[in-house]
Amino acid sequence: MSPAKRDVLVCIGLAIVLALVPLVIGTRYIITQMTLFFIWAIVVTQWNLVLGVAGIFSLAQMALFAVGAYATAMLAYYFAIPVIVAMPAAALITVAASLVIGAACLRLRGPYVALLTLAIAQVIYLVVVNDTACFTNPPSGCLPLFGGVRGFSRFGDLGFRALLGSKFYVAHYYVGLSLAVLAVMFSIAIIRGPLGLAFKALRDNPGYAMSRGISKFKYQLWVFGLSAFFTGLAGAFYAAQFGVVGPIVFSIAMLLFLLSMIVVGGMGTIWGPLLGAALLMLADEGMREVGDWRDIGLGLVLAVFVILLPKGLAGVRLRRAKAGL
Amino acid sequence: MTAAREPLLSCKGVSKFFGALAAVNNLSFDVYPGDVLGIGGPNGAGKTTLFEVISGLNQATSGSVIFQGRDISMLPPETVCHAGIARTFQLNASFESLSVRDNVRVAAYFGRENRAYPGLKVGPDVEEQTTAALEAVGLAGKDHLIAGELPVLDRKLLMLAGAIATKPRLLLMDEPVGGLSPREIDHMMDAVRRIAQGGVTIVLIEHVMRFLVQLSTRVLIMHHGESIYEGPPQGLAKDRTVIDVYLGEGASERLGKLMEAGQS
Ligand SMILES: Nc1ncnc2c1ncn2[C@@H]1O[C@H](COP(=O)(O)OP(=O)(O)OP(=O)(O)O)[C@@H](O)[C@H]1O
Ligand SMILES: [Mg+2]
Repeated sequence: MSPAKRDVLVCIGLAIVLALVPLVIGTRYIITQMTLFFIWAIVVTQWNLVLGVAGIFSLAQMALFAVGAYATAMLAYYFAIPVIVAMPAAALITVAASLVIGAACLRLRGPYVALLTLAIAQVIYLVVVNDTACFTNPPSGCLPLFGGVRGFSRFGDLGFRALLGSKFYVAHYYVGLSLAVLAVMFSIAIIRGPLGLAFKALRDNPGYAMSRGISKFKYQLWVFGLSAFFTGLAGAFYAAQFGVVGPIVFSIAMLLFLLSMIVVGGMGTIWGPLLGAALLMLADEGMREVGDWRDIGLGLVLAVFVILLPKGLAGVRLRRAKAGL
Repeated sequence: MTAAREPLLSCKGVSKFFGALAAVNNLSFDVYPGDVLGIGGPNGAGKTTLFEVISGLNQATSGSVIFQGRDISMLPPETVCHAGIARTFQLNASFESLSVRDNVRVAAYFGRENRAYPGLKVGPDVEEQTTAALEAVGLAGKDHLIAGELPVLDRKLLMLAGAIATKPRLLLMDEPVGGLSPREIDHMMDAVRRIAQGGVTIVLIEHVMRFLVQLSTRVLIMHHGESIYEGPPQGLAKDRTVIDVYLGEGASERLGKLMEAGQS
């Protein structure tokens, strides 16, 4: 069996198991947390394409996620577009934003890409929170163009609340699952296909890749554009799921949390980031009780992995497989 | 040889300056279809720099490079590759974390032509070409090894397989046998001969004179970025300038004997 086929089968198997979960578990909290897991799973599999597969150290992914979330909220709020229509539109807007960021990073290497993308994310964040002039004045009070510190709420939803009443969260679970399955299939197609070859070749040796016919310009834009679509869609779904979009999506804590998922799971692999997302969400859950220590705990987990297992958990498995274990 | 024959590659007054240093200085030469042009010369003569200029990794300061009648001096490396020029590198280059097969697959898929939109799958024609390139250099059966873990001969052969997988008309090889043992040199010589017989025109840089003179139909010796000898390999051991700046007396005598032995 080809690796691509095996990956697709694993993905289908996981999807079937996860589709059965709401039939067995009725606790709303667990179902909602798993929906959130699907959202993070989408973001990390797509971020991994840039970070792990193409080896471009971009930290812009959470800002792109925010673009998807804000674009959905703003399209729905200002133009009264149904959320279900606003979501794919927001994903395309995110792609456009990502192409601009990718072009800006073209001539930069390694840590400079990280610095520039972080700076871009901060600028977007500052534009959002520092603009306090009232753009409209709804009954709830003054609302700046980008929502200010308060953000957007009451911009509509996917319609499941009206349809299913208090059970709407189950429908959201399935929407999240479907998007996550699509995003994972998408990343498999890229990593196992010619695009993945081009990205990895440019990562390993850009000069050599160019002299074998790969345009750095073109494929850097491809990876930025492609990885942004589902990231934007995840942000859009986040807006629909929670009904609120505020500047918290820009927080460094959130960025580090997602980055840790990729590092812990294994950069550049198909299943590593998903494994990392599941593990870190469980660890985070386990540390709920300890309040402020939570961030410190996550920081320690990240540090341990960077030092002891730089290739993440997927890296351990690969090495074992090679040793014939 | 008729005078009307068009050169495949033509360098016209090519110069490359690094600051005040002329690494390549007003160099002109032609390469005809079917040639194997060997380039020699002392360290720092500008041989690698010349390849950088032809392959588009580093643009010439002045002069022009004409390939199949088209000026390629200003083209980026990927376009030069698509035009039909492939090269290997003096320092072993590879996609370290990829398998041997993927290393060649990249070249076979992206190296032949500009792909406006990348496809979803590597087609059977590309797979065939990948297999053919691996077989041509003697790497068949090593498909799944990781490039970064290969011994030095295999790395050089892998680079060569990648180059020919792009289906070049012209192959530039930078010190293909540097650091190899005599047996390994023979293996590489066979591979290069087969490629040349397959209709690929070759320019190769080499310090190992045995390799250079046995493969080349013509030799160019560079010194300080300029040509000090251009002609048949047989003339090398008798050329005063070449002996003085490059070969030295001892090496030129050995080379002379080698040439005589080869002719008899
Ligand atoms: N990128 C660069 N920047 C500055 N100087 C350079 C650069 N590349 C090469 N040079 C200089 O240009 C000259 C020619 O170098 P080049 O590598 O072309 O020589 P070479 O003939 O290939 O030598 P060798 O036989 O040692 O490989 C040398 O003096 C080298 O130091
Ligand atoms: Mg050199």
